[in-house]
Amino acid sequence: MKDEFKPRIIGFLCNWCSYAGADLAGTSRLQYPPSLLPIRVMCSSRVDPLFVISAFLRGADAVLIAGCHPGDCHYQEGNYYARRRFACVRKVFETLGMESDRLRLSWISASEGPRFANVITEYTEKIKKMGPNPAKKNIFL
Amino acid sequence: MKVAKIKVKDNIEKTVLSFLRETIDKKLFDAILIPMMVPAGDSYAWVLAQDKSLLDGAYYLPPIMSVQGAKALSSVTKGGKVNKRVAAIMRPCEIRAAIELSKLNQIELENIFLISMDCPGALPLKDWLKDPKRGVDVFKKVIQHFVDEEPKPDKSVRPACAICHRFSDSDAVDLHIGILGTEGEDILFIPHSTQAEAIFAELGLSLNENLSRWQKGVDEVLKQRKKKRAQVQEELKSTVVGFDKLLDTFSNCINCHICQSVCPICYCRQCYFDSDKVKHPPDDYLMRAESKGNISLLPDKILFHLGRMSHMALSCVGCGACEDACPMSIKVAQIFSLIADRSQGLFNYIAGKSIEEPLPMRVYEDDEFHEVESP
Amino acid sequence: MSSVLKLSRSAEEGLRELLKFLLEKKRVKAVFTLCKIKKNGTVSYSLITDADMLKDALPLFPLMPQNAGKLLSRLTLKEHLAEPIAAVVRPCELRAFIELVKREQGSLENFIFISTTCPGTYPLEMSVNGDISKKLPEYEEDVKKGNVISDTRPICKACEHFMPYSADMTVALIGEKDIDKNCEIFLNTEKAEKLIEGMDGELVERELETEEVKNLRSKRQEEKRKLFEEINVEGLGLSGLVETFGRCIGCHGCSRVCPICYCVLCDFDSRDYENEPSTYESELKKRGGVRVPPNTVLYHLGRLTHVSVSCVGCGMCTDVCPADIPLSTIFLKVGEEVQKIFNYIPGKDVEEAIPLNKFEKDEFTEVED
Repeated sequence: MKDEFKPRIIGFLCNWCSYAGADLAGTSRLQYPPSLLPIRVMCSSRVDPLFVISAFLRGADAVLIAGCHPGDCHYQEGNYYARRRFACVRKVFETLGMESDRLRLSWISASEGPRFANVITEYTEKIKKMGPNPAKKNIFL
Repeated sequence: MKVAKIKVKDNIEKTVLSFLRETIDKKLFDAILIPMMVPAGDSYAWVLAQDKSLLDGAYYLPPIMSVQGAKALSSVTKGGKVNKRVAAIMRPCEIRAAIELSKLNQIELENIFLISMDCPGALPLKDWLKDPKRGVDVFKKVIQHFVDEEPKPDKSVRPACAICHRFSDSDAVDLHIGILGTEGEDILFIPHSTQAEAIFAELGLSLNENLSRWQKGVDEVLKQRKKKRAQVQEELKSTVVGFDKLLDTFSNCINCHICQSVCPICYCRQCYFDSDKVKHPPDDYLMRAESKGNISLLPDKILFHLGRMSHMALSCVGCGACEDACPMSIKVAQIFSLIADRSQGLFNYIAGKSIEEPLPMRVYEDDEFHEVESP
Repeated sequence: MSSVLKLSRSAEEGLRELLKFLLEKKRVKAVFTLCKIKKNGTVSYSLITDADMLKDALPLFPLMPQNAGKLLSRLTLKEHLAEPIAAVVRPCELRAFIELVKREQGSLENFIFISTTCPGTYPLEMSVNGDISKKLPEYEEDVKKGNVISDTRPICKACEHFMPYSADMTVALIGEKDIDKNCEIFLNTEKAEKLIEGMDGELVERELETEEVKNLRSKRQEEKRKLFEEINVEGLGLSGLVETFGRCIGCHGCSRVCPICYCVLCDFDSRDYENEPSTYESELKKRGGVRVPPNTVLYHLGRLTHVSVSCVGCGMCTDVCPADIPLSTIFLKVGEEVQKIFNYIPGKDVEEAIPLNKFEKDEFTEVED
């Protein structure tokens, strides 16, 4: 039997909302695919576009940035900047004909354990359909 | 000296590669650092290859030097020794740069097996890029001329290569691949370390003592290159020596510092000339302008080049990467070769020749250089 | 309508006379302009304080040896100018400088900017062979006719922003039939009008935006379309990027000459991007082989995300690239698309904040999932 493709998703989760949301999903014993490799950042705006591209080129099948809902940022407005940066990096991907669906921005609050599980489940399914990241095997990157 | 002589099958390139493949098969090495053709087929990039099949796209002696090999080796070993046995196959000037970098603690040679070859030179990047397909053929001719029983200089190689007289220097390597004087029929694998001899034994290569054809080829090319070097340096003296001429030569410089960034010896993470030290308040520039009526911006172009020269001339291996990459086609490498010969000569030092020889600026003797002291 | 100072001499001589006047009357402390440096006709940006030295100035010479924006930033990085300097710069250079000022890498204070309707420049490579002076008559003819000039840099041929946005004075060149006899200097600001007080010459009123200018704009748009088509930026994908950037030699010259890349130490030259041998070992495990030094595509993609919002399309990157990578085409295309979503033209207005330094509460909801 051929090995089933199990997506690897790198998640940059903000400390105050999404990381806590992930914790809640765990303590609530919600089931979701083990595809996420979470990296805790203090705020979604801490994520330099380079982190995203770096993860992608090193072979992550997808990169998720998750933070507090707009208006709820622990630092007042960090996530608004994050959203602009994300829009920019996605546009770069689109303009160069790269699969921008491999990048995702989601707002998940500390109380949204079920939403966290949903986002991961749904995104994993989507990436599964897309197949592995072609960057994974390229040696000339 | 004993060597292993291998008959060339198809061509030199393929024969060397099949030798390398065998070393991986027999688990003598875990990985090989070697240039590979890039997917577009228009250049070569260094690849650390573990997978034997990758060697199909490898070239032990590519027509161009896109990245100085010592820079590649430094990237792999700067952080410390590799836990794999790696064979690195590089041009002699790249080996010499690697030796210098190891003295400068930018390369860790433990577990690295160095292989060099008789090097005919490389094509200028600018010429190559105009038509890489043609470049491949041009380079084939270069090799043919080089290995001929009566070797002929080839005009298509880079200026730095045309005057290179260390094309076959192999003191610091483990294994040297000799192709000179063979008419492309044989390859000589010349061991320089016990490790190399052990590998020969493992591969069942028999040793042979006939080096005369190769030695003749080496001597002939050496004679030609030395002559050319003297001639080029003599011509250069008339155009660059003297302050005004030097100024004139570097006045084209556009401050891109690409010469520094491609130089294997310029290893500083941040060059002094990019640092805050060279950024001044506007009055500084204005005062300098006023003293002459007119200054070219940025000023200190010449300071950059002379500064770089004084920092690295003692370790300059004459690889020509600087000149190859200069967007203004300044004869950087040729000028540096002139300076390097003289400054290294002063200390009886040849950059990268031997790993044991300390960097001249790291040692001193109590009783020397009195001629530079004023009474 | 703007007021225009009309001098009855060629555009270049007229401009030189203006600069001379400003220096002699001590209205400026110095002049920043292109200047002849060698017999073979190469030029360099220079800072001139002595009016007599202006005889060597070639303010309209069609070559960009460095992006002047980068140089002006170097001049005013530590302090702003205490006394006025007149700087003759191309529109893209002025825009680059303004982007740098927004990043606190320089100051506009006490600068008087003199720019032109820019016909474009020749590749640096051409200056190496000393061919440019031979090209000048042909160049001038094309400028007069308002043509896209053959053999100028592809990025110049495709440049739409050839009218300066915030110059104090603009020398009209494009489509001006008699630039060999007349020099028309548009006075865009009060400061400009004051500066030329007392200078011989006729003051007239006219429009800068002529039919020829409009025509050239549409011709350039067409050129741009062709240029993008040639590289097929949008069809690159990952494999296309690997092919395009595959021949990169890692010199990082593009970032060194880029006016927007102002970082003292680029991330990619920093310790963060020096690998431990273990990184290589894990890459080998994953891929069986790894390019050394690594991160070629990452470097270019990273630079794209960092500078695209401010890329002015000056073309210096392509000009110096030893590997002939069509960087400026890719950067222009990506830059345009990114700038479009923020409705931003880099370097147009110093008051306008850099898009990534501001936000609206209700925007870009389409990128959220």
